[in-house]
Amino acid sequence: METSDLNQHYSQQFNSELEEIRSRVLGMGGLVERQLEMGIAALNSGESGDAEAVVSNDYMVNACDVEIDERCTKILALRQPTASDLRLVLAVIKTTADLERIGDEAKRVARMAIRAAAGDHGRNLYGQIAHLGSQVQRMLHRALDAFARMDVDEAIEVAHEDVNIDREFESVMRQSMTYMMEDPRSIPNVIDLIWAARSLERIGDRCCNISEYVIYFVKGKDVRHISLDQIKKEFG
Amino acid sequence: MKARASWIEEIWRIVVLLTIALVVGAAFEKTLLSLFIALAGYIAKYLYNLKRMADWLDEQKKTAVPVNFGLLGDICSRISRLTSRHAHRESRLTRLVDEYSASTSALPDGTVALDAKGHILWFNEAASRLLGLVAAKDIGQPLPNLFRNPEITSFIKAADYARTLETRAPGNPQLVLEVRLAPYGDGQTLLLAQDITDRIVQERVRKDFVANVSHELRTPLTVISGFIENLQADDDLPKDRLRRPLELMSQQAAMMSQLVEDLLLLARLETTSAAAYRTEVDMAAMLVAVAEECRGIRADAPNIDVQLETEKRLLGDEKQLRSAVSNLAVNAVHHTPAEGSVTLTWKEDAGGARLVVSDTGEGIAPAHIPRLTERFYRVDTGRSRDRGGTGLGLAIVKHVFKRHQAELEITSQLGRGSQFTCRFPAACTIA
Repeated sequence: METSDLNQHYSQQFNSELEEIRSRVLGMGGLVERQLEMGIAALNSGESGDAEAVVSNDYMVNACDVEIDERCTKILALRQPTASDLRLVLAVIKTTADLERIGDEAKRVARMAIRAAAGDHGRNLYGQIAHLGSQVQRMLHRALDAFARMDVDEAIEVAHEDVNIDREFESVMRQSMTYMMEDPRSIPNVIDLIWAARSLERIGDRCCNISEYVIYFVKGKDVRHISLDQIKKEFG
Repeated sequence: MKARASWIEEIWRIVVLLTIALVVGAAFEKTLLSLFIALAGYIAKYLYNLKRMADWLDEQKKTAVPVNFGLLGDICSRISRLTSRHAHRESRLTRLVDEYSASTSALPDGTVALDAKGHILWFNEAASRLLGLVAAKDIGQPLPNLFRNPEITSFIKAADYARTLETRAPGNPQLVLEVRLAPYGDGQTLLLAQDITDRIVQERVRKDFVANVSHELRTPLTVISGFIENLQADDDLPKDRLRRPLELMSQQAAMMSQLVEDLLLLARLETTSAAAYRTEVDMAAMLVAVAEECRGIRADAPNIDVQLETEKRLLGDEKQLRSAVSNLAVNAVHHTPAEGSVTLTWKEDAGGARLVVSDTGEGIAPAHIPRLTERFYRVDTGRSRDRGGTGLGLAIVKHVFKRHQAELEITSQLGRGSQFTCRFPAACTIA
């Protein structure tokens, strides 16, 4: 009787530890979503106030990364989880790493916004990537929702969205080249624009990764280097 | 009563059966055997009825009572009544729940019920629309997993039922929501989210309008002031008749210019996002300078003291803080007689640092205090307008302090004096 009580206590404790890392990684996701939102808004509005806040808040994202990794390591060492519990811990570790990178990219976008605000040049250039920006924001939001719900269908749709992001990025690149050819004096500004667009495109790729981890957790299959069509065929 | 009747029935049955058995047994001289057979038969029948009862209990839809005689019959009919009472109660509760669901669906505001740990118990359609929650999948999830705005997590944890939080809708950044919490039941919380996008848009339109109008008025006023100055300096004009009118015109034009500048400053303070202040401001030195300035305001100025209990500096905007402190100090001087005194204090306290401007002047009636920082609010209209006040001074002070993450607190006793206190958080101070 005592052993089973103890077991129940352990498993309750274990369950709450798993729930805790899930909540923390999603909390980190919320923070990163906010960073991205503020960075893109600064890019669109031309005011650097919010962008500076993004740069100075990046340490919070990094702190989350370290903290969640510590918790996960402790769980792996002490609880030795198996099956779906193990996959959950692994999915959380990987997602945390990707979120931290997304945070870095958001910081880069914010830095570009600060440079753009300081220069007061070619504001209409940044209108080009406003659309890319909102697409990426939506993609990140959906990827995190899919993670919260462990929803494979949603995850597959998010992975699919990456194709649109890449297409949008290419169109921004083409526009940028046109600007540079038309007016060589605009080249420094356009290069800044390209850096910002590249950061956004990278964020899109990382959201794709996160959705792959969701599929891994639910289906137990590593789909990281399989084509999207194959994924849809198997799980769609 | 019924129970006793069925007991009696049962006993009668047994008695009759045994009597018959005895009689029959006696007739064949095998009384014991006869009794045995009778009893065995009776028990067998009982067991059979019990089995039928058990089967009947297993049935989902209750058919007619299997036994209606004796004790078992009594028990059967009681079970039957119990079941139908339960069925009625269940259907009544279901109806109540349906009505309740219908009414919460009709609520225009998003409502989410959370248990003590912050997990979602239920939510209505509006919540689904505003917060992006999906009915089937999200029950039981901690709400912060889906409503991930960083302020929300700390807001829910703080469980401050008096405050409301303004935030953007998740997944739909165009929507602005006002969120509040209400406790209920046993540790449960109701989270209410109202769509205030329209209100925000209207406020923005209003502020833009004020800023635009002020901007447009600036240039014409400058022109008028300029020409008045020219006329005043022109020696060819008949001075005696024109001197007083020109003086009055100049004063009024100056007042209008000041008003326009104040409105524009206020508009700027309200609409631009507060950038992280990086410059250090020496508050001690500023207070000394402002005190010196105030001593020259009028000939019979009251005594002005500066009490510095700390050398801490503030992270902020020097110009804005100077204008706010100056505003408070000048107000104090204006409302204090020559025998009184005004004290400017800068000191440390538990939460950070504190600035206090206090005076021993005429004080402010309690009715006026909550409205003091409203634009154009005047306690005594005649007097302050004569002195050239625009009515915007305290509104500007309030906004400057707000941008420095501090709050303005006003206390006063009529006839004894007033204290204007501003507390700055430790994060804004530098030793």
